Amino acid sequence: MRKKLLLLLSIVCLIGQAQAQNRTVTGKVTDAGGMPVPNASVIIKGTSAGTTTNAEGFFSLSVPPNARTLVFSAVTMTPLEIAISNKTEVDATLNTSESAMQEVVVVGYGTQKRREVTGSIVNVKGAVIANKPVQSFEQALGGRAAGVLITIPNGVLNSPPVIRVRGTNSISLSSYPLVVIDGIPAYTGDFSGTSSAGNALASINPNDIESIDIAKDAAATAIYGSRAANGVLFVTTKKGKSGKARISYDAWIGWSNPQRLPKLLDAFQYTDHKNDALRNAGTFNATTNFFALTNGPDGQPINTNWYDYVYRTGRQHSNSVSISGGNDNTRYYFSVGYTDQQGIIQKNDFKRISTLMNVDHKAGKRIQIGAKVQYSNDQNNAAVSSGSLGDAFATAGLGRVPLVTAPNISPYNNDGTYNYSGALIGVMGNKQGQVGFNNPVIQLEQNRNNSELNHLISNVFVQFKPLNWITLKTLYGIDYVFADNEQYFSPISGEGFSSNGSVSSFFGKNKRWVWANTVQFDYIFAEKHSVSLLGGIEQQKSNFTGYGLNRTSATDPEFKNIQGGWTTPNVAGVGIGEDYLYSEFGRLQYNFDTKYFLTASLRKDGASQLGANSKYGTFWGVSAGWEITKENFWSGANLDKVFSSFKLRGSYGKVGNIAGLGNFASLSVFGSGLYGGTGTVSFSQAGNENLTWETSTKTDVGFSLGILNDRITADVGFYKNDINGLILNVPQPPSAGLPTDIPQNVGKMYNRGVEVAVSAIPVSNKNVEWTTSFNISYNKNEVTALALGLDQIVSSTGGLENPSITKPGNPIGMLFVTRTAGVDPATGRRIFINKNGQQVYFQHVAPAGQFRFAFADGTVAPAVSSADAVVYKNTNPKFFGGFDNTIRFRSFELNALFTYQLGSYVYFGTNAGLRDQRFWNNSTDVLRKWQTKGDVTDIPKVFFGDNISNGSSFPLDINVFKSDFIKLRSLTLSYNFSKNILERAGISNARFYVTGNNLAILTDYPGPDPEVSSNGNGSSNFGIDRNTVVNQRTVTVGINVSF
Amino acid sequence: MQKNILYISLAAIVLHASACYKSNLSPVPTNLISDLSAFNTKERIEGQVRATYAAMKNAGLYGGRYQIFNDIRGEDFSNDRTNVVTGFDVWNYTPSNSSTNSVINHWARAYFTINLANVFLDGMNEKGTTVVGDALSKNYQGEVRLIRALCYYSLLQLYARPYWDGNGSKPGVPLRLKGNTGQDDYALTRSSVAEVYQQIISDLDFAEQSLPLTNGSAILNTIRAHRNTAIAIKTRVYLSMRKYAEVITEANKIVSASAPFTATSGVTHALQADIANVFKPPYTNTESILSMPFSSNEAPGTQNQLGYYYGPSAFNGGNGEYSLSPTGIIANADWKATDKRRTLIITSGGKSYLSKYPTGGLFTDYAPVIRYAEVLLNLAEARVRSANTVDAKAIELLNAIRTRSDPATVFTAASFANSTALADAILIERRIELLGEGLAGTDITRLGLPLPAKPGVAAIPPSGQQYIWPISSTELLLNNLVVDN
Repeated sequence: MRKKLLLLLSIVCLIGQAQAQNRTVTGKVTDAGGMPVPNASVIIKGTSAGTTTNAEGFFSLSVPPNARTLVFSAVTMTPLEIAISNKTEVDATLNTSESAMQEVVVVGYGTQKRREVTGSIVNVKGAVIANKPVQSFEQALGGRAAGVLITIPNGVLNSPPVIRVRGTNSISLSSYPLVVIDGIPAYTGDFSGTSSAGNALASINPNDIESIDIAKDAAATAIYGSRAANGVLFVTTKKGKSGKARISYDAWIGWSNPQRLPKLLDAFQYTDHKNDALRNAGTFNATTNFFALTNGPDGQPINTNWYDYVYRTGRQHSNSVSISGGNDNTRYYFSVGYTDQQGIIQKNDFKRISTLMNVDHKAGKRIQIGAKVQYSNDQNNAAVSSGSLGDAFATAGLGRVPLVTAPNISPYNNDGTYNYSGALIGVMGNKQGQVGFNNPVIQLEQNRNNSELNHLISNVFVQFKPLNWITLKTLYGIDYVFADNEQYFSPISGEGFSSNGSVSSFFGKNKRWVWANTVQFDYIFAEKHSVSLLGGIEQQKSNFTGYGLNRTSATDPEFKNIQGGWTTPNVAGVGIGEDYLYSEFGRLQYNFDTKYFLTASLRKDGASQLGANSKYGTFWGVSAGWEITKENFWSGANLDKVFSSFKLRGSYGKVGNIAGLGNFASLSVFGSGLYGGTGTVSFSQAGNENLTWETSTKTDVGFSLGILNDRITADVGFYKNDINGLILNVPQPPSAGLPTDIPQNVGKMYNRGVEVAVSAIPVSNKNVEWTTSFNISYNKNEVTALALGLDQIVSSTGGLENPSITKPGNPIGMLFVTRTAGVDPATGRRIFINKNGQQVYFQHVAPAGQFRFAFADGTVAPAVSSADAVVYKNTNPKFFGGFDNTIRFRSFELNALFTYQLGSYVYFGTNAGLRDQRFWNNSTDVLRKWQTKGDVTDIPKVFFGDNISNGSSFPLDINVFKSDFIKLRSLTLSYNFSKNILERAGISNARFYVTGNNLAILTDYPGPDPEVSSNGNGSSNFGIDRNTVVNQRTVTVGINVSF
Repeated sequence: MQKNILYISLAAIVLHASACYKSNLSPVPTNLISDLSAFNTKERIEGQVRATYAAMKNAGLYGGRYQIFNDIRGEDFSNDRTNVVTGFDVWNYTPSNSSTNSVINHWARAYFTINLANVFLDGMNEKGTTVVGDALSKNYQGEVRLIRALCYYSLLQLYARPYWDGNGSKPGVPLRLKGNTGQDDYALTRSSVAEVYQQIISDLDFAEQSLPLTNGSAILNTIRAHRNTAIAIKTRVYLSMRKYAEVITEANKIVSASAPFTATSGVTHALQADIANVFKPPYTNTESILSMPFSSNEAPGTQNQLGYYYGPSAFNGGNGEYSLSPTGIIANADWKATDKRRTLIITSGGKSYLSKYPTGGLFTDYAPVIRYAEVLLNLAEARVRSANTVDAKAIELLNAIRTRSDPATVFTAASFANSTALADAILIERRIELLGEGLAGTDITRLGLPLPAKPGVAAIPPSGQQYIWPISSTELLLNNLVVDN
């Protein structure tokens, strides 16, 4: 209807124009330096009529008598409006806009013009991450910034993405960057206490973000000293702009689906296959030990596709409204948002109500005050474990259950009741002890694992300028995350069965305050010497308190919350902790004639988590830049005709990391417990009073350039990051009996790499504009030293298997698997290669006179196990990046973002389970199993109970795959309604779009998605795909309107 | 001017308020106790003694899994779940170096407990004894040395060749007697089996001399050690070493000369009239010499509970991990249907299950470590094997066990053709009486019998590699002085 109305209006408008007498206006468009600007657009204000300038910057345009103003615009230039009055010649001088090289970037405790930045900082505009079907903004950052690798670890809503800035920078601490939101270092990570995921950063409505600046090198990050080693993400939320109130409304609806699920055996295939395996094992018995089909209520054999019960099409929508405006003294931005998203797993939901208020006010010439209140209520829901949040082997894990459960049974008995037997799903017609773990339908329908986060981020600042060149500022901020967790396990569900039902409610209270006081001196000496000196003191205090109740054994099955009737009370979620960081810092910025730039930062940090002998550390960074285009020889060589800018930069510095270190990690302590109802005092943690920071010594050189008025820009950087004193929880021989591994500053590692980012606007005219940007990063990681006497760190997945190893001379987190050499065509036995390089033939059940493990000659061989594992493949992508294209044709715009990773491997552990020869259902791969002598295949002869030949018992090389991929991360087609039409309807902008996310993936990886991390943010156990819920493919339709 | 004064004082306030709060940099945890003050009070010291018990009670150790591992190495249980987390590999004799839930975890838990004991003993020497006085200090040290002995004993049973093989000359386990609290070089070789046994005996002798005769209450006499506990455990240890004379010497200290057999000093251990009472709340009877207590807020934890392994869901909500093998001891014809011990077996879904641990929910039945019935059978067996005769007192002891539950069956010397027949009868009696209490495995290995064949599983001869567990792969990785089995 509205569309028709707009059309009508535009017709009326066109008729009006046709009736008048036109005249011709000519002119020339030049830039600030007097150079002609070709291809500039000249439009009569309030209409779509206009033209573009020719190569010499001239234009000629026929204008109607009622035309009053011309609007001049060009790429990278600030638009200009000039009144025509009676003139027939109108010249325009356009200034380079505050875009690209001119824009302001956040550098910590202040901002800097991009042209003056000497550190390595990437800027990502809020617009590119807005209106995406994500829960938190960083999920949409993938491929946007060189050197920044984003991995969406699983398909569970609101699980924090893995972010790596220039490689993995820690082994046992976090490699997650520091996130500073409007000057306040924010809580990051998963704050849900249940099986739902609760990313703290999801508190921010992505539509409220103005920009994100990602600082990568020592120069850019040193001002954050001890927290800078993993890079810093500066998030700036939207502020008001002078002018009348502007109202924006953004809404989208979307649908998401699981993609690339493994193909499984159906009931008929399963039954035959498992009976075959029983026969081979010699244990098939037609009365006591067999698999069989069971008829369902329709009289037909039950043939269950468990995906149908676990996965779904998730429906999602989001609505945001913002009002902003202001005058010369006061600016405001208010927004409210609501999003309700269903995940692809049943009962996995995310709902957020968010509000943001940003106000600032100039009280006279010298004082400026401001405040921000950002509040959100995030509801993270799940029925039960997804097995994807570090709990890969959870028997209830929804990533795993549909793969494991027999397809020849139903979740329901034929009378419609749930099919279960004790904690397990019932076997129906199978004569087996067990043909599945829990009944997922009971879990999904009965259980709850919810977490509600109330998240408040607020700050107030006062800025005072006693003199024009002195700025005093005090900023006080808080970040509160209150997590209300609720778990319920029904007495008839697997997890609740043994305790006759279990319910927990527990509260986690995270409170942080930050107070920063800074003084800044800005002075220009002798016109060309620009000096800026910053000094400051900052304190940050965080407190955590957790408490709650767990009750088991319901007195009536109707009781489903802790307030109901239960037999036992127990504590749940109890914990207490605090940390404190005290810092003094300074920064000197100098530039001569915006030609030579120097920056030096220094920060001294004291942290409560560290050892009594080593609480303080000093961090620093220096950098220099040289804008060559300002040199006479440059223009003398006429290079300034080509290059609008060309800047060399270099930096060096030392920063630290203690992200993720426990509050009391340095202390030796005794914990409490009970024995026979009385208290115990038990040696529970071995400390280290010399525990101190991990330090990163970072070197960065690079250049950035702009060609043709910055129509093409490029940034190239080389970096080297030497990390020393890596804190490792140095494992001791278990026979030493220590309660915990002792944290020590022992490891060494480096990351080296190259980053290239190129942006260009190949085509730009009135009708068509094409902007493109491409970035590629190469990173090489190598661990060079671990602890004395410790030559490797084996890291587990889900606590049950150890597929990862970190060993000096290799990148962190190599895959650690036992080698195989195919399947013996003569006998169908799996051939292993043991640690001595010998081939060992394995058959799960050995006939009399043979051995389970035997050499080729039939003699007995030592059992092959994970003790025979070798350091196998690298899990760190060598190359990664993104390729973004936007093509605008008149009012249509098409945007396509591709992301890619190359040069790494993933352990597809799920595949081991998919070929496990216990009762577990298998992938259709097993249909090509070895059956008769001479069969050449990769699937050995099947023996019921065999979990060794397939890698289920210990990791094997057959489940390691190349994870190279190119993904069409997002594809958006949008339509911008014509302005003059909208204006008459009181609308200033309206845009309609359709977006597809994860629409296509080009990869040889056999699993659902090579972009996966079963261990989430874990540094040393990356590149694992074990029973993880697959990623989703989402299509959204949306609209943006502003008034 | 006034304005400037205002600005300066404001700036001063801000600077002052933003100064570093030193105390914030060294926060003291409010829910933990510093190592510096752990031996400052009697309460903390006794708390550490209890903590050592609690470590041994860990359901991965004597709170469940140690018993289960030994039970399922025998022939009386069937594995129904093929789950390695719940011992499938132990049952079919295939645990590997990296078997997390058996080989790795038991090793780590036993040594964690041993280290707690060692840290305690060191701390008592340095400070604790002066806090609590000599007498109490000796009591406490006796308790933790007894726990240390039980841990080393459990390690030897699983990871080392039996004592009979080379008279203890085979590799045992690393013998650690110093408390470890910080970074150090912890590489250490395996001591011989004999050396470890020697330490076990030395600890138990010390405990015998240091422990009080009684702890003053039924509960404390069951869940904490007293003198007779040390003696009782010694009968088990010596039996494993085939030192039958020593078994007899020790047992005689707590077994009266004639029936009804009781301990004549210290806690008056005796058989209960009805065996079922031993496995019922409050579990604190004079037959239970040492048991690990559980309650709703001291629950054994997931997949560790005796009742969860042995009870089917229809009975106690357990997972029926192991049913009683139809060809195992329940098939023994001499075990009469009227024997009261048959009431500790239930059937469900056509299978038989052990119901000694009936409590559902959190499965909080106490886990037995040693009870008086075993001591009597230890003594009986030692008498037979030391003299190789059809020993009259041995028959009397055997009858004490049998007739309690089956008054109609009374053995006489005529019941046994020779001493071997009597010894075999005692072994059968152990399998019946102590079923599901963690003795089957050691009874097989200490006698050098093959690990029995089971459906789908071949027997393992005493010389076989699978006769004992391999060493923890983590230990092999981090302690290069240790060699694998």
